[in-house]
Amino acid sequence: MFKSLSLSILFHMSIFAITFFTLPFVMKKPIDVPPIISVDLIQISEKTALPFAPKAREIIEKIKEEKQRIVTKQAPPKIIKKEKQDAIPMPDQLKKKKPKETDKQNPEEVKDEIRQSSEFEKKELFDPNKIAALIDKSKEETAEVQKKKSLEITQDEDSSVSLDKGLSITQEDAIKAQIFKCWNIPLGLPYNEDLTVRIRLKLNKDGSILNSEILDHVRMNRPGQSFYKVLAESALRAVRLCNPLKMPSTGHDKWKELQLNFDAKEMLKG
Amino acid sequence: MKRLSLLLILTLFITKSFAVVTIDITRGNLEPLPTAISNFYIDNPERFSENIKKLNLDKNLPKVIKSNLTRSGLFYVLDNKSYIQKPKLSHLKPRFEDWKLIKAQIMISGKLKIDDKGRLRVEFRLWDVVSAKEIEGLALFATPSSWRRIAHIISDKIYQRLTGEEGYFDTRIIYVAESGPKTQRVKKLAIMDQDGANNKFLTLGNELVLTPRFSPNGKMVTYMSYFKNLPRVYLLNIETGIQEVVGDFPGMTFAPRFSPDGKKVIMSFARDGNSDIYTMDVKSRRVEQITSNPAIDTSPSYSPDGRFIVFNSDRSGLQQIYVMRNDGRGVKRISRGKGLYGTPVWSPRGDLIAFTKIHKGKFYIGVMRTNGTGERLLTQNFYQEAPSWSPNGRVLIFYRETAGGKKGQGASANLWAVDITGYNEVKIKTPTDASDPSWSGLLSK
Amino acid sequence: MSLINIRNFAIVTVLGFLLSACATGGKRSANDWYEGTDTVKFLASGVPDRVFFATNKSSLHTAAKGTLNKQAAYIKKSGLSVVVEGHADERGTREYNLALGERRANAVRDYLMSQGVGGGKVTVISYGKERPVNPESSRLAWSQNRRSVSVKVK
Repeated sequence: MFKSLSLSILFHMSIFAITFFTLPFVMKKPIDVPPIISVDLIQISEKTALPFAPKAREIIEKIKEEKQRIVTKQAPPKIIKKEKQDAIPMPDQLKKKKPKETDKQNPEEVKDEIRQSSEFEKKELFDPNKIAALIDKSKEETAEVQKKKSLEITQDEDSSVSLDKGLSITQEDAIKAQIFKCWNIPLGLPYNEDLTVRIRLKLNKDGSILNSEILDHVRMNRPGQSFYKVLAESALRAVRLCNPLKMPSTGHDKWKELQLNFDAKEMLKG
Repeated sequence: MKRLSLLLILTLFITKSFAVVTIDITRGNLEPLPTAISNFYIDNPERFSENIKKLNLDKNLPKVIKSNLTRSGLFYVLDNKSYIQKPKLSHLKPRFEDWKLIKAQIMISGKLKIDDKGRLRVEFRLWDVVSAKEIEGLALFATPSSWRRIAHIISDKIYQRLTGEEGYFDTRIIYVAESGPKTQRVKKLAIMDQDGANNKFLTLGNELVLTPRFSPNGKMVTYMSYFKNLPRVYLLNIETGIQEVVGDFPGMTFAPRFSPDGKKVIMSFARDGNSDIYTMDVKSRRVEQITSNPAIDTSPSYSPDGRFIVFNSDRSGLQQIYVMRNDGRGVKRISRGKGLYGTPVWSPRGDLIAFTKIHKGKFYIGVMRTNGTGERLLTQNFYQEAPSWSPNGRVLIFYRETAGGKKGQGASANLWAVDITGYNEVKIKTPTDASDPSWSGLLSK
Repeated sequence: MSLINIRNFAIVTVLGFLLSACATGGKRSANDWYEGTDTVKFLASGVPDRVFFATNKSSLHTAAKGTLNKQAAYIKKSGLSVVVEGHADERGTREYNLALGERRANAVRDYLMSQGVGGGKVTVISYGKERPVNPESSRLAWSQNRRSVSVKVK
């Protein structure tokens, strides 16, 4: 009964639409909107010169790249999340989120959060949402992340390294503080993606930078990695702006090689 | 596989004994990127006619780029007066020390030329001052009169290169221009470039017009008009100026929006006081009823893949946001917070839904995930609503009204934009009061 | 006679309770309709042209029904046709308010028809929040703007 009713309504509607489609009317004044012109583009520059890799390293690079591929295949958790959303955005098909989420719906609180991002002192505060998000990840994903991490370490360790390790916490903090000041975080980066850029530095005794290298710079020019590239370039600028670093007057062996892991997520999350 | 696991074990072992000092850098400046935009230099001034000279392109073109980048909130453009190097050398052989000195991290230079065919050739280069290298360079050709579009396209290229995300400067905004007292407001359709330039009125203001929305290719607009006192949804072809009613329904049609493929218009149709959601195929005029509920169903918006529809309904008793499949099945409420929710719009990226929220007498613009979680409120005010997404899903434009005093004094309506992080709330200048903005896609696409 | 009176009284009382339960049951202050006469015009002497609504509501309260009874009588007597305009206050989203105005206008149309006015005599139009009668942003103005206005067709 209901079906036939709606069918008849539909039918009548269609009749209405066809018969009553009024004749187009034109405005009294013609519209003078500038036409969309065609613009030709020509690339005038070479693509960005990558940090030069000596021939001996090329093989290592290849291996690195392969490993990186393996890592990528294992799909970092953030990509998995995205796929879920795109494929099945229906609420019922999605896992229920933590009740903590509702905290965010208090307007005053949200305002606070927005403000927080400009004062990073507050970032250290306990963030229930973040914890919730961590718990939310499945065990499989965690395992994969761990695997990924160990692989990454492999890449880091393929050059010879000092046996004597370690800086005191104060010394580390002093270096951190210097870099913080030099680093302009690219504000347009996605606030909800995991991106880390690792830079290896070789330092002279006076703290000046002998050499800086992005550990997986191949990733920079891979399609779909533009956010990584942007972050990497900003990290390189930070390092250069901080040159020379103020380093402890002794123990050059301990810090002649440094690895800096740049991660903007915490600050962009706001 | 075996080799891999062996490697893993080996690695774990090595890691224990040898490790470079590793420091995690998780903080930095959240300041806009210090950028210098040099004036462009003119390569063959002898070919620049008086008319073209009057445009002052060497200064005005970089100026438009500066205003775009500044408005995005991601860049801080340093004052021209502090630049040491001249435009020509900046473009050909920049002295990076000079730019470092004024604390620029990025520098943009350019060259203008009129070619044999009388076309304007604009060349620009993007320099990483700190790393002392060129990171982008392009040449564009167009008629000199379309220099603004060139500036917008260059802005998009720069934005993309420095953020990793597509730009949104080569776009237009259609909106409702308002004038007159609140009780007899005159409303006209108006269109302008994203930066407010080239403002044009598309209707004369004889009848009330509301809620214009671009088609995906930016050539058509669907809107609501009270033409002949019959509130109906119309289509307007921007290029020809031809307007036509969308299927003469026997009652009010409103809240129109295009489907992502541009083939359908989805809207509300009110019959006997009840509003339901319908679609009409633009070509065949076939009408289809999507919802059938005694409550108000309105403000429909498709997901970018066209498979889902988000809409506003008061079937629970109060205004809330619902998602359903494009055939009307599988309706689920997604807004769960306190207060009323309206005007849902699916983001072009597909991951978020923007909305208006009314709670305790305040109006908020916010975003939530498509399942209703992760609600974030971006801005709060006395009255604001109707967000529309920038094509890259990064910025929302909406309108805001101020309260009217006795006889409506002090009441105003203006367009505003805000980044989805809640940063960088900016007012978009319009010649008159303005409301109901809709952002086009990239024109060059 | 007195028995009937008592019965009527009982019915009215019970109905009254029910009505007030409805009126206060809403989540927002449901009886914030305008009760004054400031903006009211007249279709004919003693026939007010408008009725007022509570926030987000389209139900007709007793005073509104009284007004509409007079309108119905007048329309029937004069043979005129009317357009019922539905309006909303400025405190809602534009599109929802268009639907709400439509709902209010139809509530009035339905009531007029229940009072014997022919369906062909009454058409409806919704203006949402587009045509306030009082431009001020105040509770009073909003209550005056949440209205339906019956306009004679020339």
